Parts: sequence; C-alpha cells; structure tokens
Amino acid sequence: MKARRKKRSGANTSLTFNNKMFAFMIPALAMFLIFWIYPLLQLFYYSVTNFNGINYNYEFVGMKNFVKIFDNGTILNSIGITLIYAAVTVVLSNILGLALAIVLNTKIRFKGFFRTASYFPALFSAIVVGFIWSYVYMPSSGMIASLINLFGGNGASFNPLGNFHTALFAIALVEVWKGFGTTMIIYLAGLQTVDESVLEAGRIDGCNEWQLTRLVKLPMISSTITINVVLSVINGLKAFDYSFIMTNGGPGKSTKTLMFQIYEIAFTDQKMGRASAFSVVSFAVIIAITIVMLIFMNKREVEV
Amino acid sequence: MKGKKVTAILCAGMMAAGMLAGCGGASGSDAKASSGDAVAGGSVLTGSQASGDKYDHQAIENTKENITITMMVSGVAQGTDFETQSLPDLVHKKWPNVTLEVTKLPDDNYYTSLKTKLASGECPDIILTQPMYAGSNSCYALAEAGYLASLNDLDYLSNMPDLSAVTYDGNVVTATTGVSILGTYYNKDLFSKAGITEEPKTWDEFLADCKKLKDAGIQPIVMGDKDQYVMQFGLYQIAANEIYSKNPKYDDELRTGDTSFTDKDTWDKVLTMYKQLYDEGYIDASQSLGYGASQAIQDFIDGKAAMTFDGSFNAAALTATGEGGDFERGYFPIPSESGEQYTATCLAAGYSIYAKSKYVDQCKEIFDYWMNGDNEIWDAQLATGRVIPLYGKGADSIPNYDLFKPFIDLTNEGKGFHWCNQAWPAGTETTMEEMFSEMIGGQGTTVDDITKGMQDKFEDLLDD
Repeated sequence: MKARRKKRSGANTSLTFNNKMFAFMIPALAMFLIFWIYPLLQLFYYSVTNFNGINYNYEFVGMKNFVKIFDNGTILNSIGITLIYAAVTVVLSNILGLALAIVLNTKIRFKGFFRTASYFPALFSAIVVGFIWSYVYMPSSGMIASLINLFGGNGASFNPLGNFHTALFAIALVEVWKGFGTTMIIYLAGLQTVDESVLEAGRIDGCNEWQLTRLVKLPMISSTITINVVLSVINGLKAFDYSFIMTNGGPGKSTKTLMFQIYEIAFTDQKMGRASAFSVVSFAVIIAITIVMLIFMNKREVEV
Repeated sequence: MKGKKVTAILCAGMMAAGMLAGCGGASGSDAKASSGDAVAGGSVLTGSQASGDKYDHQAIENTKENITITMMVSGVAQGTDFETQSLPDLVHKKWPNVTLEVTKLPDDNYYTSLKTKLASGECPDIILTQPMYAGSNSCYALAEAGYLASLNDLDYLSNMPDLSAVTYDGNVVTATTGVSILGTYYNKDLFSKAGITEEPKTWDEFLADCKKLKDAGIQPIVMGDKDQYVMQFGLYQIAANEIYSKNPKYDDELRTGDTSFTDKDTWDKVLTMYKQLYDEGYIDASQSLGYGASQAIQDFIDGKAAMTFDGSFNAAALTATGEGGDFERGYFPIPSESGEQYTATCLAAGYSIYAKSKYVDQCKEIFDYWMNGDNEIWDAQLATGRVIPLYGKGADSIPNYDLFKPFIDLTNEGKGFHWCNQAWPAGTETTMEEMFSEMIGGQGTTVDDITKGMQDKFEDLLDD
C-alpha cells in the first residue's frame, strides 16, 4: 500500500507531465465547452420550443417539432437523398483515390506533376468549384454541352442539373472531383508505410502485382482505408455546399440534403425550433451510421 | 486494441458532434441573445406608444451636445457608398453636432447581427427593414415584437400613395420612398422581327405574341428556373392581375381563414396560366430547370430570347450590352385576361427607428429632411441608381426611367400590388416554387397539388 502511494505521488511530480500541466488545458477546454458543447446542448433545448429566431417570447411545445418533421415526410426525403449522395461520393472518391494512389506510388515519369494535378481541385473553395461546375453543366452553351455540340450531338438536351433523376448524381460527381485528391494523398501516405521487404518477400513467394496489391498492400493499409472511408462518409452526410450553390435544393426537392433542409427550415421558414429538432434527429442518424461503420471497418482491420 | 476501438468510436462521435455544431452555432449565438432578452424583453415599447403628438421638429437643434446616431443596413458597399459615406457626411454637414455611424453588412450577417442586437437591447437607432413579412428584418415581425417606433407623425408620408405594406397595427413603421417592380423585359428588335408592333394588352394577345415569336424561330421567354426564386417574377405579376385586383385583402384573409390558396379562380388560375407558357414551349422547361438566373439574363442580352420576367433590381444587368448588341429594351407588366392593367410593384425596403432609441425624434428629423424630395441627401441617394422614387426632384431622371414609368404611374393610381411572398410567412413561396418545378419537370404534380401544398405549408408556418 505504502509502495503504491509512493509510486502515484512519484507520477504526479513527473518532470514531463505533472499535475500543474493540467491547468494548461483549461483555456482550450473552456473554448471547446463554450463554443462546441454548450451550443450543442442548446440545440436539444431549442428542439422542444417554437423559437423563430427573432421573437424571444417562445414557448415549449414538447415533441411537436419531432412529430411534424416525421409527419410531412421531409426528414425521410432528405435522409434518403443524403444517403445516396454519401454512397456515391464515398465509393467513387475512394476507388478513384486508391487507384490513383497505387498508380502514382509506382515509378512512373512525371509522378510529381500527376500527384499535384490530382490534388489541385482540393485547393479551391467549394463555392468556386460549384460555380465553375454550374457552367460546365449548363445546357446548350456549357463546357460539356459545347463538347457534345462539337462532336455533332445535341448539347441543348444535356441538362444534368435540370433533371430530377440526375441532379443529385451531378452534384455528387463535383464533390468527388474536388475530394478525390485528398483521399489519394492519404492513401499515398498509407502505401508508403508498406515495407519494401514485405513486398519483396511476396515477390519471392511468386506473387504477381495484382496479388501483391490485393493480398499484401490493401490489408496493410486497412487503417488508412478506415480513415478515408469514415472521413468521406462524414463528409458525404454533411453535404450542403453544392446543393446550395449549384441547385438550390432543386429541381423540386431532389437535392435537398439533411444539412440543406435544416438550413432552409431555420433561415427560410424561420423555424429555429423545428430546425433544432431536425438537427437532433440528424445527429442521431449520423452518429449511428458512423459508429456502425467504425465497428464494421475496425473488425476488418489487420493489426500490424 | 479494445481501448483503441473505444477511442475511435468516441472520436467519431465527436466528429459527428462537430458537424452538427455548424447548426448548433446559430443557436449558440441565439442562446446568448436569449439571456439578454430578459433585460430587454419586459419593457419593450410598442410602436403606438410613440405616436400621438407631433414629434419635436427641432429635436437636433434642441440637443446642445454632440450626439452619435447609429445605423445598420444590409448590402455590400460600392464605390462612393450612399449609406456608409455620403449619408453620414451630408447629415454631419447639415447638423454639425450629429455623427451618424453606419454599419453595412452582407445580408446574412445583417440578419444575425440584427437579431442579436435586438435581443440584447443594443439595437442601432436606425435599421433597414422590409415591407410586410419579407425576410428576417420584416417590419411586421419586428413591429409585432415591439421593436419599431411609430413613424405616423413624419411629414414626408403625404408624398406616398399607399403605405399599407409598412403599416402595422395602424402605425407606419418603415420610412420608404421607393418601389421595386416586377415586369417583363423584352427585346424590341426580336419583337419586330416576328412582326409584333405593339405591347400585348391582354393575356390572349400575350400568348399570340409568344406564338408568333416561336413560329419565327425565336425562343419567346427565357427563365433561370434552376434558381427557383425566379418563378416568382412571372407568377406574382399574374397574381396581381387575377387575384389582388379582385380582392386586395386576399392575403390578409388568408391569415384569418376567410380565403384559402385552394379557392377556385385564385391560385389555381394563376398557376394554370403560368403553366401554359411551359406547356406551349414558350418557356423551355427542359432547359430552364438547368439554367441559373444570371445565365438567363445573359441569354436575354445576347439576343437569344425575346423576353424574360425580372425585376427592376436587375435592370442594370438586363440593359447591359451582350452578344445581341445594343438592341432596344421594353418593359411591360404581364397583361391580365380582362385587359385591365395592374402591376406587381411593391414598396422598397426602408428605414425604421428602434423603439427604445434615445434619439427617436432626432432620427425623425433626419428622415423628414432626407425624404422631403429636394435636398442633397435625396440627390445622393438617387445618384446611386438603385432607388425608384415615387415623388421628388429628379425622380424622372433615374436610370431606365422610361422602362419604369408605366409601372410608377400604375402604382400612383393605386393599381400596384405587393409581392405575394411579402405577405406570406417566409417559406410558403419555396413550396410553391418546388412544386411548380416538379410539375413542369414532369413529376406528375398537378395545379391542385400545388395549391394544397401551399395552403398546408402556409398553415404550418403560421402554427407555432
């Protein structure tokens, strides 16, 4: 007992991290609590009020906001849209990012140029990218439409953003275009941690390049895959930018993602209470999806 | 390993929490505001308290010491800015003891800032407000919360034909001098090319002209329906003709339940008439749904389409020279079925005085001077080219006055009606636009679905 206490007091007077060091956490912790946790808790509070953002004589309305958002189907509509958006961006940006990373990790000419080029779109802000792409997609005189015209097609009928069935995929592609570079960089970093000796051992054992990739490299970068997939799932689930900039949620409701819908309820309809309820539900949905994904991905990870 | 997993899951939780903090952020500032409200909330003056006697027309002169009046407006400062530069300079020139401090913020920042300042009781003396229920700074909503002083005793009011859109509970709460217009811009060259010699006077003539244009191989109307709000530009003109001209109280009665969007020959008629333009291919839905508002304007000035529905606020862009050269533009209200002329011309945003300001009378004195129609401040405001005044010196020399004149005359005759969305709780028009897109996009939505959808949304928005 005595020995244990002595040991603990020894730890407290550690030269590298003694108790006093905890005091230095206070500023950061305070910021975190005030600007992140407190507003988040306020969200739960407002979700049971009829606060409209202007008039502070609001009342408590119980679960009415929650009933309403499920009642008229807005939340199911936007959850569906968000999931499709997330699925498209996660799958495409990861496949594209991984494939590129594998190619750019080999010894090819102009490697540096290609790496830079694929990361380039990530350097622009979403607003700029969205604005540029709305001109790329523009019917008749947009970039793609002009190319179609050039090759003798009918560019006027090319209208991805104006079509109820394609608008969501069209903006998801823009997200992929902007995002795959970042995914690629992370994969590239992961691939470079794979020890050359392991690959050499594989080659001696008679693996071809495809087998090396599938059986050695991919399992060894499984934690990188987890990070990338989870990051892009989260990114996909909070989709807002391109719906806002490129389609305004339209045509109709076809690109109203969760975040866009929350924005609209809060700032167009001025129903802060209901928007808070919407956020709370989104919070639950997103956290559930993320946890399930993590558990699933972690199971598949290989301990190195 | 297990610890690692738990940490990972916790991290993921934090990430998700972080995402939502974006939404929580807004409520964060509100939270602060709500505690401040306890101070301000109890004793908010109502507009009517300030009414009654005439205000002190010598308030500034009677104030011996130097005073600072604060003002907050929305927008982006351009060139020699009127609100942030000319106005304070000219006020100071007229009354050397008055310093006008003006803050100009982009729209969204303005709304947030205004809410916070109102709630904490630190609102600037003068703020920019919009007619009826339009926007987060709508004068009705702010007056209802008791934030705005009554301006009934301002002398300039006698110049204005109808101020009902800025009058709440019998009190004028916003001082505005101008209007905003919705109309139909057209390309006179393309009209004559198609053999059209004069502006259409009835809805049938209008349709016939569209047909002539289409037969001549000219796209009759271009709209940027990807930015769904532009649908309002056409619809509100038709609503002025077919609804408000017959029942100017239609929107008030919506709130009392005496009328409904589903009433026969009201919105069903408006939507059907507008839909006709799409059905006949006068507006090409397959293209317009992928076109942004600015792209549509570009097509118009490039001479690729003969008409577009748009507002006076876009006049500069629509009269710019594009690939179509310097063709002559015209501007007319969509004609009604009966041939009687009406217009969707509403009061422009204006300035309100904070009810708890220390300088209510001083602000009123400034307003009355500024808005008397013949002084340096007035001239400076007109020089911005962004106001369409209904009276005063130089009102007929504003840019594009020729285009606007018929609308101004109609308004002065009492035939101008507010824009529908100003009278509705914000969000009703979004439902209208969404469902109208669905209809013209071939999603099987009908006119009756839309009117029902609008009514449901309207009731839902009013229901606290």
